[in-house]
Amino acid sequence: MKQDTIGYDSLEVRPLPKWLTDQRDGLNTWQPQKLEMKEDHSLQISLISTGIVILITVVILTIYFLRKNKKV
Amino acid sequence: MKRIYFKIIIIGALLSMACTTKVSEWVLLNSVPDTYLLVYFHKNEISETIKKQHSEIENQFQTANILLKTMQRDEVEKPYYALYFNNRLIKENIDENQLENLTFSPLRETVANELMNGKLCVMLYLKCGIPEKDEKGLEVVKNSVAASPYADVITVLELDRKNMEESQLVSLLLNVEDDLKEINEPMLFGVFGKFRALEPLLAKGISQENINLMIGFFTADCSCIIKDDLPGSSILYNGVWENPQTALVNKILDANPNLEHH
Repeated sequence: MKQDTIGYDSLEVRPLPKWLTDQRDGLNTWQPQKLEMKEDHSLQISLISTGIVILITVVILTIYFLRKNKKV
Repeated sequence: MKRIYFKIIIIGALLSMACTTKVSEWVLLNSVPDTYLLVYFHKNEISETIKKQHSEIENQFQTANILLKTMQRDEVEKPYYALYFNNRLIKENIDENQLENLTFSPLRETVANELMNGKLCVMLYLKCGIPEKDEKGLEVVKNSVAASPYADVITVLELDRKNMEESQLVSLLLNVEDDLKEINEPMLFGVFGKFRALEPLLAKGISQENINLMIGFFTADCSCIIKDDLPGSSILYNGVWENPQTALVNKILDANPNLEHH
């Protein structure tokens, strides 16, 4: 039922069942996973997050010392 | 900790067994047949007699892959039943007398028994009614199966397209693909699992090479590719699929390890 039958002029050119062509071409057996190269943004993310952490630390420490010096 | 290791070993063993199960056996044990829909079209309110009749039908259909529904429509002059599969009309204007043969017939029972007895598949040869073509195709089928190492676990059955007793089965088979009804050629359906029919080989496609590919499909290790997109079409049948015999193909493979293919 799932077999797609496209229009054809004669029985000679009628498409073969998919299970048959897959079996003939070895596609019914287990296929190894295809490895594809993906863009690696991990270095940029790491640098940005490190920068953010440093900035936040500097800001917090600055505020802390400024407040401490005011009290004195 | 020891229990955890034990569980891991058991699960690993089960998974490795699952991957070596053959397609035909896996489908018989695990797949659920696709459901047909029988619709009762009517205009007026359903009478108590019909309600009672439907209740009896539903009881009969308990072990069949079919559901009964009612549908009220103004344009219906005389109530009738229509059979659908995957939203496609298979047969309409079915009357009460035809319902009994809809889900059951002697040949369907024979096919189901063969599958339940552990056979790899049933090759159902649908004749077209032209003796020269029918005999030529049948000879190819018989010779190809006889030459196969799996001959003992394959059953070849013949079916005449004009067989009145099996007219419903013929109709169901010719609906496996959209265009089969218009093709007057002999056809070979590979039936496996819980009465699932592969898209057929037909005319010159009934060759030793293609029959061997069909056998190869049934004897292949069941891969996720096949499980996820199972080819073929479920045939309507009223029968119980519980506790099938062990697949006979395993004996052949145990005795002939060189036949194993992955």
